[in-house]
Amino acid sequence: MEKISVVIDGRTFEAEKDTCVLEVARRNGIYIPSLCYNSEVTSSGGSCRVCLVEAHQGGRMRLVTSCNYPVRKGLEVKTDTPLVHRIRRGVLELLLARVPDSEVIREMAAAEGVTEVRFRKDEGENERYKCIACALCVNVCAEVVGVHAIAMVERGADKKPATPYNKPSDVCIGCGACAYACPTGAIELKEKDGVRRIWHKDFKMVRCSVCGTPYIPEAQVDWIVSKTGKDRSFFDKCPDHRF
Amino acid sequence: MGVINSIEQLEEYRRELAATAKPDLPTVLVCFGTGCQANGSRLVANAFMEIIKEQGLQVDVNIGIKTTGCHGYCENGPLVALRPQDILYLKVKPEDVPEIVEESVKGGRIVERLVYRDKVTDEIVPRYSEIPFYKHQLRIALRHIGTIDPTSIDDYILAGGYAGLAKALRMEPEDIISEVERSGLRGRGGAGFPTGTKWRSCAAVDSDVRYVMCNGDEGDPGAFMDRSIMEGDPHAVIEGMIIGAYAVGSRQGYIYVRDEYPLAIRNLTTAIEAAREKGLLGENILGTGFSFDIKISRGGGAFVCGESSALMRSVEGNVGEPRAKYIRSVERGLYNKPTVLNNVETWANVPEIILKGAEWYASMGTEGSKGTKVFSLVGKVNNTGLVEVPMGISIRELVENIGGGVLGGKKFKAVQTGGPSGGCIPERLADLPIDFDSLTEAGSMMGSGGIIVMDEDTCMVDVAKYFTGFLVEESCGKCTPCRDGLPRIYDLLTEVTEGRGREEHLDMLEELCDLLTWGALCGLGTSAANPVLSTVKYFRDEYEAHIRDKKCPAGVCKALITYSIDPEACTGCRLCAKNCPQNCITGKRKEAHVIDTSKCIKCGVCKDVCAFDAVRIS
Repeated sequence: MEKISVVIDGRTFEAEKDTCVLEVARRNGIYIPSLCYNSEVTSSGGSCRVCLVEAHQGGRMRLVTSCNYPVRKGLEVKTDTPLVHRIRRGVLELLLARVPDSEVIREMAAAEGVTEVRFRKDEGENERYKCIACALCVNVCAEVVGVHAIAMVERGADKKPATPYNKPSDVCIGCGACAYACPTGAIELKEKDGVRRIWHKDFKMVRCSVCGTPYIPEAQVDWIVSKTGKDRSFFDKCPDHRF
Repeated sequence: MGVINSIEQLEEYRRELAATAKPDLPTVLVCFGTGCQANGSRLVANAFMEIIKEQGLQVDVNIGIKTTGCHGYCENGPLVALRPQDILYLKVKPEDVPEIVEESVKGGRIVERLVYRDKVTDEIVPRYSEIPFYKHQLRIALRHIGTIDPTSIDDYILAGGYAGLAKALRMEPEDIISEVERSGLRGRGGAGFPTGTKWRSCAAVDSDVRYVMCNGDEGDPGAFMDRSIMEGDPHAVIEGMIIGAYAVGSRQGYIYVRDEYPLAIRNLTTAIEAAREKGLLGENILGTGFSFDIKISRGGGAFVCGESSALMRSVEGNVGEPRAKYIRSVERGLYNKPTVLNNVETWANVPEIILKGAEWYASMGTEGSKGTKVFSLVGKVNNTGLVEVPMGISIRELVENIGGGVLGGKKFKAVQTGGPSGGCIPERLADLPIDFDSLTEAGSMMGSGGIIVMDEDTCMVDVAKYFTGFLVEESCGKCTPCRDGLPRIYDLLTEVTEGRGREEHLDMLEELCDLLTWGALCGLGTSAANPVLSTVKYFRDEYEAHIRDKKCPAGVCKALITYSIDPEACTGCRLCAKNCPQNCITGKRKEAHVIDTSKCIKCGVCKDVCAFDAVRIS
């Protein structure tokens, strides 16, 4: 890949063309907050807007989401300007109004000096409790897991991830990658007596033959075996006792 | 004739059609646009057919296979035009047909009660071309609409259709792009991006596959120019797309049409099939070796799908959500291939530009906005409908000359331009020329060309709330500022209109607007603050009246007004009392009546029925 140089906060860095600004910044120790972006998921990013930075290019400036803005020749990025903080504070105040009970959002907002919400708050344990509708769960399920069990449904403020018709999904394998990736811990995953419950569906877990810990849903084993042709016996033991 | 195998054959075919056409034959053109059909134009056409058949007249009635598209003057439909007499009849009913045939078609006389009557001078204006609504127009994109049968490719070819394509196919693709660049044509969908520049960028990207697309997802409430073109002149769009495809090197095109436009879909489908049969679409077009075809993709009715990247995702079969356009569609668009997406009206202009040349097109309009623009003129104005005028005409000219002034002699207050995410421009700026840059500078935008005229009875806070409400419903919900910011803006506007507004609400509104403008993902979100920003800018006093004095100066916001009866003007006719749904108006016959405000629901029925203008709003 073509290497180019990019200026971030006055310092010049080398990077591969089209790498996102956020990656280049992080590799070089410059902190930019983010929620909906995960570097392992190429379809993620661009929705939560907390990673906005100033991009100066071709004689003009605009605010861009650093998680998906490609670095190209002549780009200068500023991550720490009054405009960046003003808009980020606004975004975080709205997120805090949406999910006032999320510790992650509360901390991130507090770091920008936002502790109070002046607007109407969405209160209570509604269906999208703590969810910021960033779609990272959906992107992980589709792109990383490859099962497409959930999608973003509805629109506007009602937008949320869901299984089809909010019923147990036929294709969900209970892997929990969505819950793991969720930046605000909004997806409920419960385990009891060797059964995992997620997205309205129960999954029987395989127990490790050594320690007896239920560690992977049978449906997930089926999925991996069908995709990779791996021997089922590989999953008899949990990762801690496998080798 | 079947397949036309060469450019020469196309010209020959046109001559053949002209030889068999009978231009002097009296022709009745019945408008079959959506508006006129809804008003019963089909019955009118049937009545003509019957009477003509009955009497064995030599008249060519435009019906069934020969209907016309929308004339644009929809509020006066069904419209019937007579050629060659150049007469336009308005609001024609089937029972008017025998008289029209007897008097006009046979006798050459005018049926006065059916022609246009000037609302100010009360003079009758029978000639189509002299009606003020049409007289001040300059029709390029709408050039054939109302005169040709959109379901007949022969009608289009006879009217000069596909001559632009024939000329283009003799040019180098590079020269076509230069021609479009020099014409100054800018995208008619809203953003006004220079069309030639877009084509050049797309052609420059190294790729084996390129797409050209047409955006027919016209979603702005009240705007219907694209529908009118797709319904009334579908070949103009197709011809433009073929020229564009040849210029940028594309073999496949898509027209994205919202499913709420069934007639547009039907007429486009018919036109595409006819063009294929004639060898104007498909393999080896006109024997030149160039191949290109078009598919229609139907949209499901989400406003956001008119946004380019959401539109492309929708065509691909995904959820119609915008993506960040940091890498533009000309580089990575539909199926990640270089894509040119233009609006319906833009495409319809292309054949004329190629045929008549860039200089001709650039001679119209203003420095930065060339050519003409179609507007849908609606609201509190005498003549409403579709109008095409040169860029640079002032708002006042549009409202007064073409629109015939504000309804009922009321005071002209403002115009709202650019659809729901446009802005309001006050009467004092009505001499502003309508072009891309002036409107943007004034805090509104061209958008797709919606112009809503507002009079003194319009509350600007209520207007801002209405459009914000529309956008709240249509926000896709992908990004935080639009999804969670717009409902909060709506909340604040509700507080203000319901009398709970506080001083700091204005600052909070402006802050949220700033957040949307800078922070939202797509064009819908970044422009969604315009209705609020423009009204706060030009009508701040109205916001302040709501907040400080708890008053709605226009008398619209129900929480802030009370109805009362002026005892001087009231004649005691009992009409208001009889119609009041709350039974809260009392009084004896021939004595002044009184409204019990504790029960009044402010429905306004009393004011509507009062013949003596005795009901007051304060």
